[in-house]
Amino acid sequence: MSGNLLHRPPILRGPDGIGGALPALILIILFFVVPVVALLLRSVTEPVPGLQNYATLFGHGTYARVFFNTFLVATVVTAVTVIVAFPVAWMLAIMPPALGSIVFGIIILSMWTNLLTRTYAWMVLLQRTGVINRTLMDIGLISEPLPLINNLTGVTIGMVYIMLPFMILPLVGTLCAIDPMTLRAAALCGASPFDAFRRILLPLSLPGIAAGGLMVFVMSLGYFVTPTLLGGTSNMMLAGMIAQMIQSLLNWGLGSAAAFILLLVTMALYALQLRLVGAKRMTGGI
Amino acid sequence: MTEPFLSIRDLRKAFGSFVAVHDVTIDIPKGEFLTFLGPSGSGKSTTLYAIAGFQHPTSGDVLLEGRSLLSVPSHKRNIGMVFQRYTLFQHLTVAENVAFPLRVRRRPDAEVKRKVAEMLSLVRLESFGTRYPGALSGGQQQRVALARALAYDPPILLMDEPLSALDKKLREEIQAEIRRIHRETGVTILYVTHDQDEALHLSDHIALFRDGRIEQIGTGEDLYLRPASEFVASFIGNSNFLPAEHLETVNGSATIRLADGSVVSGVRIDQDFSHGQKTRLMVRPEAFRLRPGPATAGLAVEFIDTAFFGERRRVIARTAAGQEIDVRPTSDMAEAQEGIAPSRQQIFFDPAAAFLFPA
Amino acid sequence: MLLDYDRLGWLRAALLGFTGLVAAFLLLPVVFIVLLSFGSSRWLAFPPPGWTLKWYEELFADPAWLEAALTSARIATMAAILAVAIGLLASFALVRGQFRGRNTLRGLLLTPMVLPVVVFAIAIYAFFLRIGLGGTTAGFVIAHTVLALPFAIIPITAALEGFDKSVEDAAIVCGASPFEAKLRVTLPAIKIGIFSAAIFAFLASWDEVVVAIFMASPTLQTLPVKIWGSLRQDLSPVIAAASSLLVLLTLSLMIVTALIRRKLSK
Repeated sequence: MSGNLLHRPPILRGPDGIGGALPALILIILFFVVPVVALLLRSVTEPVPGLQNYATLFGHGTYARVFFNTFLVATVVTAVTVIVAFPVAWMLAIMPPALGSIVFGIIILSMWTNLLTRTYAWMVLLQRTGVINRTLMDIGLISEPLPLINNLTGVTIGMVYIMLPFMILPLVGTLCAIDPMTLRAAALCGASPFDAFRRILLPLSLPGIAAGGLMVFVMSLGYFVTPTLLGGTSNMMLAGMIAQMIQSLLNWGLGSAAAFILLLVTMALYALQLRLVGAKRMTGGI
Repeated sequence: MTEPFLSIRDLRKAFGSFVAVHDVTIDIPKGEFLTFLGPSGSGKSTTLYAIAGFQHPTSGDVLLEGRSLLSVPSHKRNIGMVFQRYTLFQHLTVAENVAFPLRVRRRPDAEVKRKVAEMLSLVRLESFGTRYPGALSGGQQQRVALARALAYDPPILLMDEPLSALDKKLREEIQAEIRRIHRETGVTILYVTHDQDEALHLSDHIALFRDGRIEQIGTGEDLYLRPASEFVASFIGNSNFLPAEHLETVNGSATIRLADGSVVSGVRIDQDFSHGQKTRLMVRPEAFRLRPGPATAGLAVEFIDTAFFGERRRVIARTAAGQEIDVRPTSDMAEAQEGIAPSRQQIFFDPAAAFLFPA
Repeated sequence: MLLDYDRLGWLRAALLGFTGLVAAFLLLPVVFIVLLSFGSSRWLAFPPPGWTLKWYEELFADPAWLEAALTSARIATMAAILAVAIGLLASFALVRGQFRGRNTLRGLLLTPMVLPVVVFAIAIYAFFLRIGLGGTTAGFVIAHTVLALPFAIIPITAALEGFDKSVEDAAIVCGASPFEAKLRVTLPAIKIGIFSAAIFAFLASWDEVVVAIFMASPTLQTLPVKIWGSLRQDLSPVIAAASSLLVLLTLSLMIVTALIRRKLSK
């Protein structure tokens, strides 16, 4: 950064030290770290000091089901998102810019449209009498409406929809960074398109897939809005359960214990990601 | 005439209204080392890419032993290639890179292992098999690329400016390596470069490209000593071009008048000029002498600057007509130094070693 | 030649077809909601039996919607200004600072983006209840500034990393004060990053639902809270009308962004 001036006169050192970060640091510590730590403390102090909240969470089948649902949905959403995003990112990386900018425009429009708007659309589309069920019945594929909402199917469709841009955009970056000459070299070496994909293109995009996939997985674990609206009350996920414990049941101890578990899993996965791909890559999506 | 090994027939490649390659035709015998030389954008790489199958030509054909390659996809052409940029597979080790073409051909493990060892020793990287390309220098990476391209004994090796990313010393080292490998394997090599020294150093024959056409094809000596056009003369080696007026031609030997009014006769030409036609006389810097010889012509000049180049001294001189020319006399040093002292003097050249081109 | 668009053969047709389907999937809800907002069926039948503007009339007849939109705009503007200002100062330290723990600091400042927002929401809700900021505009702005800060820092640091510090030094050598040099040389050079930061920070607050649900009071509701409340009651077409206006806003924001970026990058 400053290697261009070997002997920097004192005046040029300027105010680029840690000082500039102070307002941000104060904001984050006072209004982020302190509240979160205070919340976590409540998980071992309310209603009485001890670990009984955690014992409750791990001891009851109801909660076990919520944890299971959460991991199941996050896993399925991640897998589907990766499989759907890869071909799209691949095309976006190489298609003519005129065509590509249309697809990019659609992705950005979808991403920037209000989250509730998009979820509302899926609620209407997926309901028993919704367009999707009606269309499928009209063309004779099904005779009874499929249950697409208020279950994990609906949650998965809605979540894949929301996560796709977060997977596609970083993957385009990864694929653009691969020199097309490498694939030409593979072809000339005798690799069929299938071999070139399996042995060269896929392994070379693996860092991007891992980074994007982990990000989607972690975001899915803690997602609140879409699972709550599309999943219904009987298919609760972790974030929905935490909100319910606080808002409806006013059980701060149990709610903050569940929040702590979510926080711990999230942070552990991010730490893993940082080790795997580095901080730069992780934030490359926006 | 026997069927040529590799034959390029009326190859044409247009991108929209821009024609990158204009009906190029070349026959290449087996075992040849042919270089496509030319400035960037002259169509040499496009021609190579058509052979590799990366670009489909607009018209024309590429034949290998009489069979057209055009309908064969790249991965079935069985051609080896080394690229300008490092195209090693970064996620595979050096040995796995070299093994790659054999693996996709589903060769047995024992053969793959033997062949990889043989290739790595051919490029003198025996002990690098377990390293990853990222840990290698540019020169080492290109040697691995060479090993990978030769691992499946392709009959043709294409090389697209493989040394352009390397520094001068490494370039020379790998040039020697490439010549040795050509000698040892007998593979037919098509080599693309914009560097005339590289072309002269490496190849049996050079095809000089200009604006999508082959300007001249021949040995390095042909191109240097018998350039077909002013472009060839200026691209290969250094040249001075003196404006001249053609006076008359007798038995293929022309008489001309230079800009300072002096008349020179005995210039060799291979085309017809009319009386009074504007022409340019090409004289190589090293064709100048400081002393007159038999049948030499004189040129009045003023020495402006000299520079010492080790084996030779280079002199910048100005003609009486005010043109700066490059002079590299081949006389011995003592004589050169002695001769250079005065600033105004006559220098001499053999008109039979100079060429006349239309202006 | 899997990365050569012109030499993919039949694979290209297949992949393009798939890309088209995914693009349609991404576009479907957005287009659908706009069409629905003009449909005459209260029960959201599709295709609608007729076309009408009555849902828009109902939307504008209810002052609560407009009020919620104005509240959202006010909070998002303040949060974006604060996040960009604080983020800009922090970015200089993060990019140019030579102190220990710089990467840790970066990680800390970006954490609000990766922590599940529901955890932050209940934490800040409890905290503000205790210190008396619950249900206040100030509380909203502070919470949203925390959430928007990473979205401001990432584009600004990226722009700053691409800017050659020696240009700023040259301005100082020419006689500018370090502050003046930053103002006249560095900030204009990273304006695209700052502009992106402002857009992202604004959207982060404008679209924020979870914190808002907890923080909202009967007298202070943002637009997402209002939509959330309506959604939980029924799927009224009025929501479709409100949503369509949001889509229109998104579209105009995209166009303005594209235009300003083009202008700034000249």
